[in-house]
Amino acid sequence: MSNVLNSIAGWGVNIAIAMTALRTNLMRSILTTLGVMIGVFSVILAVAVGNGAQVSVTQQIATLGSNMAIVLPQPDRGSGPPRSADRGRLTERDGQAILRQVPGVSAVAPQIRSSVQLVTPGRSATTQAIGATPEFGSVSNITASEGRFLSDSDVGAAARVVVIGQTVANKLFADVNPIGETVRINRAPFKVIGVLESKGSNLGNDNDDQIVVPITTLRQRLMTSAMQGPDDVSFLFVGFEDEESLQAGEKEIQRILRERYHVPKGRINPFTVNTTTEIAETTGQVTQIFQAVLVAIASISLLVGGIGIMNIMLVSVTERTREIGLRMALGAKRSDIRNQFLVEAAVLCVIGGAIGLTLAVLAAAIFQQVADFPAPVGLDTALMSVAFSAVIGILFGGYPAIRASRLSPIEALRSE
Amino acid sequence: MTAPLLETHDLVKDYVIGGEVLHAVNGVSLSIKRGEFVAIMGASGSGKSTFMNMIGCLDVPTSGTLLLDGIDTKTLDSDALAEIRNRKIGFVFQQFNLLARTSALDNVAVPLIYAGLGYTERRERAQAKLEAMGLGNRLQNTPAKLSGGQQQRVAIARALVTDPLMLLADEPTGALDTQTSLDIMGIFQKLNDEGITVIVVTHEPDIAEYAERRIVFRDGRVIEDAAVKSRRRAVAG
Repeated sequence: MSNVLNSIAGWGVNIAIAMTALRTNLMRSILTTLGVMIGVFSVILAVAVGNGAQVSVTQQIATLGSNMAIVLPQPDRGSGPPRSADRGRLTERDGQAILRQVPGVSAVAPQIRSSVQLVTPGRSATTQAIGATPEFGSVSNITASEGRFLSDSDVGAAARVVVIGQTVANKLFADVNPIGETVRINRAPFKVIGVLESKGSNLGNDNDDQIVVPITTLRQRLMTSAMQGPDDVSFLFVGFEDEESLQAGEKEIQRILRERYHVPKGRINPFTVNTTTEIAETTGQVTQIFQAVLVAIASISLLVGGIGIMNIMLVSVTERTREIGLRMALGAKRSDIRNQFLVEAAVLCVIGGAIGLTLAVLAAAIFQQVADFPAPVGLDTALMSVAFSAVIGILFGGYPAIRASRLSPIEALRSE
Repeated sequence: MTAPLLETHDLVKDYVIGGEVLHAVNGVSLSIKRGEFVAIMGASGSGKSTFMNMIGCLDVPTSGTLLLDGIDTKTLDSDALAEIRNRKIGFVFQQFNLLARTSALDNVAVPLIYAGLGYTERRERAQAKLEAMGLGNRLQNTPAKLSGGQQQRVAIARALVTDPLMLLADEPTGALDTQTSLDIMGIFQKLNDEGITVIVVTHEPDIAEYAERRIVFRDGRVIEDAAVKSRRRAVAG
């Protein structure tokens, strides 16, 4: 027990000696600390931004809906950008076939998308129109926060009705309730029947800047470029009851579509099936790589900071060789000398780490406010960074400290 | 108590300089009893400093035996040697070797850190030694605010703070004027009267006359080892 107390007291003395030495060369100590400070600052910020990107992407994927497969009429080439010449076909009848034949499918939502011009008296906006059916709401978790969503009869009658996103509502109807108002879409008058519930924005992509009209209406009145057939669609959103049926269903959709289009064996699919699970995995991997690259770059600055510590500790040992000799003559063991310089390096690093951490937390908060981008600094990140900077101190302070402790007392005493 | 404090047998220290072997200390056998006051003399390069560094456990002999308080120092590792320097030997240097920008009190307390004493006890013992040196009103002064004689007295207080068996002083008056030198020698005589063994290395013959035994080195060997005939007494200032 008294041994433990003594060793704690011993470290206390070392910290006191270190503080005195660091105060003696205050300017030098501050500049050295600056290196570690910047290193810790950038590592923490990189981790925070990486975490934020992950959160943001997860939210983005959540807005798509869950347990869903997206079928596109583009050949499945695995990777690489699709070429327009490869464009295949996909129809509403394919969707009905999937709904009938694939087990576990709860709904199929066909979609066509087109860019449109909206005009109200004195105002106008350009946005993306989604031609959809009522199933789009259930498959993609989309509801109307005011008014109502599309109904079967809207689609059946190709009614000129529109459900608008929040951003569009703000642009066109600043201070009027939009429900029941008329808006001209590509010159044709439409009645606003609802406003979509806000889905926010992710990574600068505004999810509320869109409108939904019946698929039939869009096909008849708003298409700027003709599709190949009368019931061709841009996408099929296939909703599944649960994750398991989604896993099995992906293969089943491919089998059914190959059959319907008489794709010979060995030929690649003229369509692509993505599932929300796959999208989440892929984007998760991308953001992880993004984070790893950020942290790696930031770590270089921490490494440079560490080398700065080593450099200054070597100078300090050289300058104080005579003091080391004197301390040895007065009874300091090698371990005492080693610990003294280790503690000095660690104090430099921990102070730098603490300041760097504080600045990083502040910067993350400001970033969050200004850029509207989440950059959470977790307790684990904070602890890790302070521990990391102490390790840097011990690692880079270790060589100079051991060098100091290996000096011969008499040689050290004799040095000028 | 009958065993000598210090005993050397055929002590040798060689240095290799430019491919040539230099015998700095070349076979010294002598013994120093407890309570003696010894002056070690010789010109520079005579080997007296090398000899003192070895008996102070700051340097290791090339060959020969050194018994300190009955212990063969060859058998000790660097930690054990550090402990001997801490507990049994008090060093006084020509240039005082005080830590700059550090108070007299903290300077004197340094050896007690390595002896493993707690803060309060370190301060109390350091203060007592400084008061005994007549520096009770200079506890918080840094070396820059002390005269040469005061600095050397702080250094002596530091050498005494662990209550060692012997005091090793290397040219302790080399940086001091005549009167101050006399004061310092007076302190050594008083301490010696109280029982501590004092070994002073000097090249000044009149300083050596304050000791009771004089050992003269030349070319790494002892050429004279005799009692001081007309010993001088100084009154401690």
